[in-house]
Amino acid sequence: MASSIPVSVPADAPPADAARGGRVAQRTRRLVAAGAAFVVLLALVAATAPWLAPHDPVRQSLRARLTAPTLEAADGRAHPLGTDHLGRDVLSRTIFGARVSLVIGFAAVAVGSAVGAALGILAGYRGGWTDTVIMTIADAQLAFPFVLLAIGIIGVLGPSFPTLVVVIGLSGWVDYARVLRSQVLVLRSREFVDAIHALGGAVPRIVGRHILPNVLSTLVVIATLQLARAIVLEATLSFLGLGIQPPTPSWGGMIQEGREYLDSAWWISIFPGCLLLLTSLVVSRSGDWLRDLLDPTLRSE
Amino acid sequence: MRALAAFLAARLVRALIAVWLVSTVVFVVMRLSGDPVPLLLPADAPRSEYARVARELGTDRPLPVQYAVFLGHVVRGDFGRSIHFREPAMRVAIGYLPATVELGLTAFALAVLVAVPVGVVSAVRRNTAVDHAAMAVALVGQSAPTFFLGILFILLLSLKAGLLPTSGRGDWTHLVLPAMTLGAFSMASIARLTRSALLEVLRQDYVRTARAKGLREWRVVVKHAFRNAAVPVLTITGLQLGTLLGASVVTETVFAWPGLGRLAIHSIYNRDYPIVQCVVFLSALVFIVINFVIDLTYGLLDPRIRPR
Amino acid sequence: MSGLTRRELLKAAGVASAAAALPTARAAAQSTQKRELVVAQGGDISKFDPHYSTSSNDIRISFNLFDNLVSRHPDGKLYPSLATEWKLTNPTTWTFKLRQRVKWHNGDAFSAADVKYSFERTWDPKLNTRVSTVFTTVERVEAPDATTVVFTTKKPDPLLDARVAFYGGQIVPKKYVEAVGNDTFNAKPIGTGPVRFVSWTKDDRVVLEANPDYFGGKPDFDRFVMRSIPETAPRIAALLKGEVDIVTQLPPDHAERVTGNATTRVAGALYAGLYVLAVNSKVPPLDNPLVKQALSLGVDRELIVKELWRGRGIVPNGPIAKGDNHYDAALPPLTYDPKEARDRLKKSGYKGEEIVIETTVGYTANDKPMSEAIVAMWRDIGVNAKVEVLEYSVRAQKNRDRTFKGLWWSDPTSTLSDPDGMMWRLLGPGGPQDYWRHPRFDELGEAARFSVDQKVRGQAYKEMTKIFLEHFPWIPIIQPYEDYGLQKYVDWTPNPNQALEIRRFAFKFRRA
Repeated sequence: MASSIPVSVPADAPPADAARGGRVAQRTRRLVAAGAAFVVLLALVAATAPWLAPHDPVRQSLRARLTAPTLEAADGRAHPLGTDHLGRDVLSRTIFGARVSLVIGFAAVAVGSAVGAALGILAGYRGGWTDTVIMTIADAQLAFPFVLLAIGIIGVLGPSFPTLVVVIGLSGWVDYARVLRSQVLVLRSREFVDAIHALGGAVPRIVGRHILPNVLSTLVVIATLQLARAIVLEATLSFLGLGIQPPTPSWGGMIQEGREYLDSAWWISIFPGCLLLLTSLVVSRSGDWLRDLLDPTLRSE
Repeated sequence: MRALAAFLAARLVRALIAVWLVSTVVFVVMRLSGDPVPLLLPADAPRSEYARVARELGTDRPLPVQYAVFLGHVVRGDFGRSIHFREPAMRVAIGYLPATVELGLTAFALAVLVAVPVGVVSAVRRNTAVDHAAMAVALVGQSAPTFFLGILFILLLSLKAGLLPTSGRGDWTHLVLPAMTLGAFSMASIARLTRSALLEVLRQDYVRTARAKGLREWRVVVKHAFRNAAVPVLTITGLQLGTLLGASVVTETVFAWPGLGRLAIHSIYNRDYPIVQCVVFLSALVFIVINFVIDLTYGLLDPRIRPR
Repeated sequence: MSGLTRRELLKAAGVASAAAALPTARAAAQSTQKRELVVAQGGDISKFDPHYSTSSNDIRISFNLFDNLVSRHPDGKLYPSLATEWKLTNPTTWTFKLRQRVKWHNGDAFSAADVKYSFERTWDPKLNTRVSTVFTTVERVEAPDATTVVFTTKKPDPLLDARVAFYGGQIVPKKYVEAVGNDTFNAKPIGTGPVRFVSWTKDDRVVLEANPDYFGGKPDFDRFVMRSIPETAPRIAALLKGEVDIVTQLPPDHAERVTGNATTRVAGALYAGLYVLAVNSKVPPLDNPLVKQALSLGVDRELIVKELWRGRGIVPNGPIAKGDNHYDAALPPLTYDPKEARDRLKKSGYKGEEIVIETTVGYTANDKPMSEAIVAMWRDIGVNAKVEVLEYSVRAQKNRDRTFKGLWWSDPTSTLSDPDGMMWRLLGPGGPQDYWRHPRFDELGEAARFSVDQKVRGQAYKEMTKIFLEHFPWIPIIQPYEDYGLQKYVDWTPNPNQALEIRRFAFKFRRA
C-alpha cells in the first residue's frame, strides 16, 4: 500500500561529494548528540522532579488561584510560571508532567517495537497466510484515524497507566513490522536463512545473529520517531480527558484545564504546551538526523 | 494495462477486507464499552422500562447475533438508527459531512498552494536565509501537536489580536483558523518533500545538460525538474489527504467545528454505536479511495512506474 | 507642530476622532435596531420533542416552542398561560379553564383534546418518554368540553398546578403528532409558543422565527437563533465582539471580562436548586452518620463560594433551596469546623478507608475544580479522599444501576419550588437517589406530598430537615447564581429554573 511510505520525509538531498559528505556527517553527529542531550536532560528533570520542583504539584491554594507569573503571590510564594485555577504552581506541575510524558512515551515505544518486530519477523518468516493476515491488519489499522480507536478502547477499559501504554504502543507497531518483514524477505530470497536452517540453526538464533543486526539502525530511527509520536499522542489523549487522571499533572491535561482560562490566564496552557512542542520537535528531528547518519539508504526513498 | 487492472483488483479486495476488519473491531469495542440504554431513560424509570428499551434496540441479544445483524445491514449501507438523534445513522452522518469536507478541502488546498511554491523557492534558493527560515517553520509545523497549535492560533490571532472568530462554523472567517491548524502538518511535509525532491532532480544529468545549454535557471526548474519531482510530491500529498481525516477529529474538537470528527467523539461518549460505526466506515472508505486514486495516478503520470 | 511626524499626527487625529465618537458609541450600545435575537449556549440541543428531554440546553428552546397550561415567571410565581384560570374543585380534582382561539403553528385550533393527549403521552408506557414519572400523582385527565380540562389525582395533590408548569407539562398537538409520528414531530416540531421552528444545523445552530399570532403578543424580534458554542472563552469572545446578544452559562471567573466591557453586562438568577455531593450511604464508612457529619464539617464552603465562585453563590443551610416553599431562613448556613470534623471522625471509628468523589467535567458548573478542592480539604482533616473522573455516559449508567462508589455531583432542580419536587422526588423510596432509608423521614415525606394543609407540610419539612442534617444523604455544597452575559441593549431577566424566557413580558430590545 502507498501508506507504507514513512510520513516523515528527508529534508536534505544526499551530499554531492565525499568531502562535503564528511562535513555534513560530522554536523549531523553533533546535532544527534544535542538531541540526545536534550532528552537526557528532560529525563533528569523528570527523575529529580520532587527535588527540582519548587512546590508540591498537587498542593492547592485557592486564595492564590489564577495568579500571573510572579515572584511574590498572594500566598507569599514565588510562582515563576503562575498558578492554575486551583492555585497550584504551574512550574512544578510542568516539571512533574515531564514524568508522565517520558515514562509513557518510552514504555509505549517498547511495547510497539516488541509487538511490531515479532509480527514483522513472523510475517516475513512464515509467509503465506500468516503474512497476508498480519499485513491486512496493518493496512486496516492505517485505514482510519487511530485517535478514534484509542478513544473507544480507553472508554471501555478506563484510562489507566497500562491501558495507555498498550494503546499508544500499538498505534505504532506497523512501521517496525514492515521493516523487519522486508528484511527477512531479503535474507530469505538469498536462501541465506534456508542454508543456516538446513545446518540446524534455531529461529531465535537466526533472528538474533542475522536479522536484527542488519536492521538495528533502522529500528533505532523508527523508535526515535515513534517516541515523538507517542509523546504527542499521550498529550492528545490527556487533552481529550482520556489520559492520566487528576490530580497527577500531565502536559496535555494542563493544556486542557487551562483552555477555559485562555483569555485571562494563558500561562496555564501555554507553558506546558511549549515544552511539549519543543520535546516533539527535538525528538522527531533527532530521528531524522539519526536516519541521515545511520541509514543513508532510507534517504533516497 | 492488464497487469495494472489485476493489481488494482487485488488492492480492491484487500481494501474491502481492511474495511471489514475495521468495522468489526469498532463493533466489538463499542459493544463492550457499555450499555446505551441508561442514556435514553429518565433517572427514575423502572427496571421494566430498561428491559423493554434494550429489546427495542436489540442490545439484549447475544453479541454474535448482534454482529450478524450488524453485518447484514452494513452490506446494504444501513447502519441502523442513531440512538441519540432517532434518525437513520447514515442520514445524520451525511448531515455532518459537508462541514468536514469543507474544512478538509480548504486545509488541503491551503497546504498545497502554500507548500509547493515554498518548497520550490527553497530548493532553488537553497542554503539562503529564505530557505532556512522556510524549513525552520516547516519543521515546527511538522512536529507541533495539532491541538496545541489550534490553541496557540486561538490565543494569538483570535483572543489577543481579535482578527478571527474563535470557533464554530459561519462565513469564511470561521474557516481560517481551523484550516490553518488542520493543514499545518501537511503543509510542512509537502514543503519539505517538494524541496528535497526538486534538489534530487536538479542534480541529475539531463538537468545539467539543460543548464549547460544555457537555459535560465527558472526555466530549467519549471520545465524539466518540476515535472519529474512531481511523483513523490503527489504521493505524499495524497497521503496527507488521508492523515487530514485523523487530524480533523482533534481540530474539530478544538474549534467546535460541526463535522464528522466531532460527531464521532460525541457519539463515542454517548455510546451511539450506529453513528460511530457509520463514521468510521465512511472515513476508512475515503482513505482507501484516496490510496486507490494515488495508485492510478502513478501509472498515468509516469509510465516508467509500474506496480511490481 | 513641525516636530511631529506624519504618523504621530495621524495617531493624534485617530485618538481625537475616537474620543469624539465615544459618547455616541456608548449611547448606541445601549440601544439597537436589531430584529434578530442571537443566543449562544454551551451545547447543542438534542431534541425538540419536549417529552423526550429535560436537559437545560433543550428546554431553552422547547419552553419557547410550546406552552404549558400554567407558566412560572422569573419572579417565581405561577401565571396563566394556555389555561386562563384553575382551581382545586375538591381535594382530588383540579379543573383548568383553557384560553380560547389559540392556534398551533400550522393553523390548527388548539383544544382540550390536545391537553388530555399530551399528559397521557407523558406516561404512556409504549412511548418511553423522559418525563414518564412527573405526573405519578395523577389518576386520569378528562376533557369534558373544548375549553375545560379536569385532573383527578390519586390522593390530594397540593402542587398539581406547579407540576404542570414545568417539564413534562408542555402541550403538544394531538392531530399533528398522530398524523406524522413521533420522529417527524421531533424533526419538524409544531407548538403554540412564541417562536416557530425554521431549521436546525446540528452542533451549530437552531433557527426559529417569531410567531406573529402568539396569544401573548409577537415577541420583540423577527428571528431567534440559538448557537452552540461549547467552550467558555469562545462563547464570551462572541458576546464581546457583538456576534451574539446573550450567552448562557457564564462562569464566575469570566464575569469580569463581561462587566469590564463597555457594551455588555452580567445578569444572574439564584439557581432554583442546590449543587450537592450525593452520598451512597449503603457503603461503609459512608453508612455511618458521624463520618458524613465530619465530611460536611470539613468542607470550607465559604472559601469555595468566595474563590471558586467569586462570591456568586450562597452557602446552603439544609436540603431546601432558598426561594422554595418552607425554606427556613432562621437556620444557620452549614458550618466549616475542621477541629470538630476530626473529633467526629475519631468518634466514628473511621479507619482510613478510601472515600471517592466520582466527578464529571462540566456536567454541573465547576464540578471538577470543586471536587479537587474538597478532596484536598478532606485530606487535611484526615480522610483518605480521592477524585475519579467519569464520562457523562458512565455517570448515567451508575445513576441507573445505583453503583456510585461514594460521592458524586448532583444538581437537584426544585421543579415545583417546593421540597416535594426536590428532596422527596430524588431521595424518596424508589427515587433515583434512594441510597438511604429512615422510617420517620419516609413517613413525613409521604404525608407532606399528599396534604393540602400548608401548616402540616411546613412542620413535616422542618422535621425532615433535622433528620437530613444528622444523616446527610446529600452533602449540600452551594446554591449558585447562574449567570448570563448580555448586551446592554437587551432588556431581559433570567428565570431561576434555567428556562430561557423570551416572551414579551420578559424580553425586549432597547430601541433608540
